Amino acid sequence: MNSVRSVITALIIFLVGACTQNQLAKDPNLYAVPVNNFSKSVELLISNADFLEEEVMKINAQSPSVQRIIIGADILIKEKEYIKANNELERAFRITNTDSALFLRLAHLRFKQGLLEESESFASKGLLLSDLSSWERLLLNVYLRN
Amino acid sequence: MKFKLTLGLILGTTLVVLLIFVAALVAVIDYRVTSKLDGVLWTVPAKIYSRPLELAEGSKINVDLLKREMEMLSYISDSKTDIPGQFFLNKNKLKVFLRGYQDQPSGIYEITFAGSKVKNIKNQLGISEEFIKFEPISIGGMYPVHMEDRVLLNWPEVPQILVDTILAVEDQDFFNHYGISLKSISRAFLKNVQAGSVEQGGSTITQQLAKSLFFSSEQTLRRKVLEAIASLLIELHYSKQEILLAYINDVFLAQSGRRAIHGFGMGAQHFFGTSIENLTTDQIALLVGMLKGPSLYNPLRNPKNAIQRRNLVLTILNRSNKITDLNLAELKQRDLNVSKPNYRTETKYPAFHDIVRLELQKNFDERELRTRGLAVETNIDPVLQESLEKNIKKTKTQLIKKYGSGLEDIEGAAIAVDISNGEIRAVVGSTQPSSYGFNRSINAIRPIGSLVKPFIYLTALDKYEDYTLTTILDDSKLSLISGGEVWEPDNFDKKFHGEVPLHVALWQSYNIASARLGLELGYEAVEEVFSNLGIEKKVPNLPSVFIGSFELSPYQAIQAYQTIADDGFYTPLRSIRQIRETSGEIEFSYPYSVEQRMRPEPITLLKFALQQTFLTGTARGYSKKDIDKWNAGGKTGTSDDQRDSWFVGFAGDLLVLVWLGFDDNRPTVLTGRTGAFQVWKNFINDINPVPTEKTKLQRIQYVWTDIEDGLLSGKSCRNSLLVPFIQGTEPIKVPNVRKKCFTKNPSNNGAKIDKIKKIFEGGQG
Repeated sequence: MNSVRSVITALIIFLVGACTQNQLAKDPNLYAVPVNNFSKSVELLISNADFLEEEVMKINAQSPSVQRIIIGADILIKEKEYIKANNELERAFRITNTDSALFLRLAHLRFKQGLLEESESFASKGLLLSDLSSWERLLLNVYLRN
Repeated sequence: MKFKLTLGLILGTTLVVLLIFVAALVAVIDYRVTSKLDGVLWTVPAKIYSRPLELAEGSKINVDLLKREMEMLSYISDSKTDIPGQFFLNKNKLKVFLRGYQDQPSGIYEITFAGSKVKNIKNQLGISEEFIKFEPISIGGMYPVHMEDRVLLNWPEVPQILVDTILAVEDQDFFNHYGISLKSISRAFLKNVQAGSVEQGGSTITQQLAKSLFFSSEQTLRRKVLEAIASLLIELHYSKQEILLAYINDVFLAQSGRRAIHGFGMGAQHFFGTSIENLTTDQIALLVGMLKGPSLYNPLRNPKNAIQRRNLVLTILNRSNKITDLNLAELKQRDLNVSKPNYRTETKYPAFHDIVRLELQKNFDERELRTRGLAVETNIDPVLQESLEKNIKKTKTQLIKKYGSGLEDIEGAAIAVDISNGEIRAVVGSTQPSSYGFNRSINAIRPIGSLVKPFIYLTALDKYEDYTLTTILDDSKLSLISGGEVWEPDNFDKKFHGEVPLHVALWQSYNIASARLGLELGYEAVEEVFSNLGIEKKVPNLPSVFIGSFELSPYQAIQAYQTIADDGFYTPLRSIRQIRETSGEIEFSYPYSVEQRMRPEPITLLKFALQQTFLTGTARGYSKKDIDKWNAGGKTGTSDDQRDSWFVGFAGDLLVLVWLGFDDNRPTVLTGRTGAFQVWKNFINDINPVPTEKTKLQRIQYVWTDIEDGLLSGKSCRNSLLVPFIQGTEPIKVPNVRKKCFTKNPSNNGAKIDKIKKIFEGGQG
């Protein structure tokens, strides 16, 4: 009985710990992102830019107005009209500056433009948002690896 | 061999000379006509616009500021809202008849607001729309010396009703003559004889064009002859459509200050604030009516004359079967509905214009700017700009009232930028913001006083293993040799404060603790952080740099603070959004660029200390509710002998910096709090920024600490304050005196885990 109770206790402690912020760290390097620890799909995202683009473009915006703009911007990115795509994304950014769908696209657009440091900075900025899903967080992390 | 002078020879020679003279004259006129029509006429100065206001479902909005912007755009409040340029605001609903701009069609829209956000937008059919866009405000241009301003129209952009009206009123036989119409001249002659005075001119459109090309309105036979020759030559060189288009683009319509308004495209912008295709028939009739006497029929100066003339033009249109009787009656009843002219005159905001010009000159030469008709879409928010201008003037008046006439000459500068993308929203370069002259926002290089301290403290906090917000600093007497002299800094209150936690030293702005910290960190480390923040200037190896002798312009200072306000992301400030060609195509963009220069965690700690400035420091006075709502923070700065008064602060998405001081650098009676902060406060209170979310970082943990010793404390302990720490750097010691009131901290999981253990393991462990 005691051993069962200990197992349940350990499990709950683990779950509580995993759901809270404190367990993340005392990490001497505040920016070390353990991307390698994820899965094969991460490796694929890093090595296959088309797959990455597809996944980024699947992330929808939180409001219909921004969604409409990013649909247009996605088409422009695919058509390699990077300046026009940027103008559209900036337009959306003026509507909301807290939508992960925008940071992902800005990071991706800069990546496509060959501006890797900027791509990384947009991804870092996106990672500061509070309501990211794990998949969005992972995608943003991919741009930190470029 | 001798010639006999015969009459025939004399006549022959005279004829040849005359022919040569006439040929030369025609050649000269021909050259002038073609060079003008092929060249100068088609040159258009670059025009500078504010950012167009776009509303979208879900976008943040301050309804009061929206109303002010509509009023600046000369929208008129009217519950009917049945003609372009009207709106009606009722509680949380706005009905507006947009004039139309670029891809935004003119039409009626209803916008519903929920709090500080746009809830939905519907068009007049009740169908939801995601966006609507207001037209931008024209804030100036890059005018050539002759100050002619025009908006060039191409033939497809010319509305048929404009062509019909011009032809009906000015030249009914335009398509049937060769530049001169004997029929028109005879008709005008008869009419004038009957009237006993000059009532009607017989000039064709081609003659009127020729007249304007020669820049003369003298009524002499010589000019009439030249005009006739020019008219014939114009008809010889150009098609009727080309002539009519040149006329539409060149005709003089009004004088606005030093600026001459030429052409119907510019006329539409100047008098109605919109493009020609959005004008109604009565508005076109008004513009065409003005041709007879631009000053006499100017609707802004002589509205009665203008309405009479417009109605006459409408009657002519009716007689020509271009409008029905019913239309005529209805159109005649309409008001003039012209826009206020003050936002469409020359350069409206000189300090901002300076910054735009400097930016433009990096990519365009002067000639291009003066001739290509480029449209420069900037980031300026006209409502914020007007408010900043108003409040710097208002604060100056308040300060003079409070401190006396010694402040009559006080000067100032202020800049407001959008934190999230570095867009410049408003700039003033003087306490008389509309005057041209020395632009202090970019040209006044002044000691920044305590505005430098956050840079020093950030250098420390970035070394998070060595410094936290509660690290104890030494604020005792400091004496050292600098530049061969003894240097002994003082605190503003002339006291020493001994050992103080780092965050207290910052928001209390202690000079000695800051100087000691700077010296401890070293010039090299401090300079690296300066550079990361965007300060492209060598830091002199002098200890006084750490307490404010470092000099920057307001523009340079706010650039550095922008990096802080945006969590360590450096974004070059931008005054221009994009530049369009006359075709509407984007010629050049100034994209949003971002570079992570600092870690966000140390910045979060710094921002905490900057927020204390509002709660208990030099910017105190706001309610906790407002400070939290805006996520506000800031820093005052006062240089030696109070020569410079600074304040920089963020509230909502805005970062605003203000400087006050004398141009001759004499001392003022102002500190950062009593001077610059008052401008900031008046401005922020006026515009009431929309709330913003605070960045929450996973690696930041809040811990109760003591405000004096920086060690662990509890919520119920005296002098305790909840202070953020980078995880793993929080203090661990609880002094005996606070053992009783000490509590575990809010985000400490240990307590939760202990509790679970107790439940499941019967209190063991």
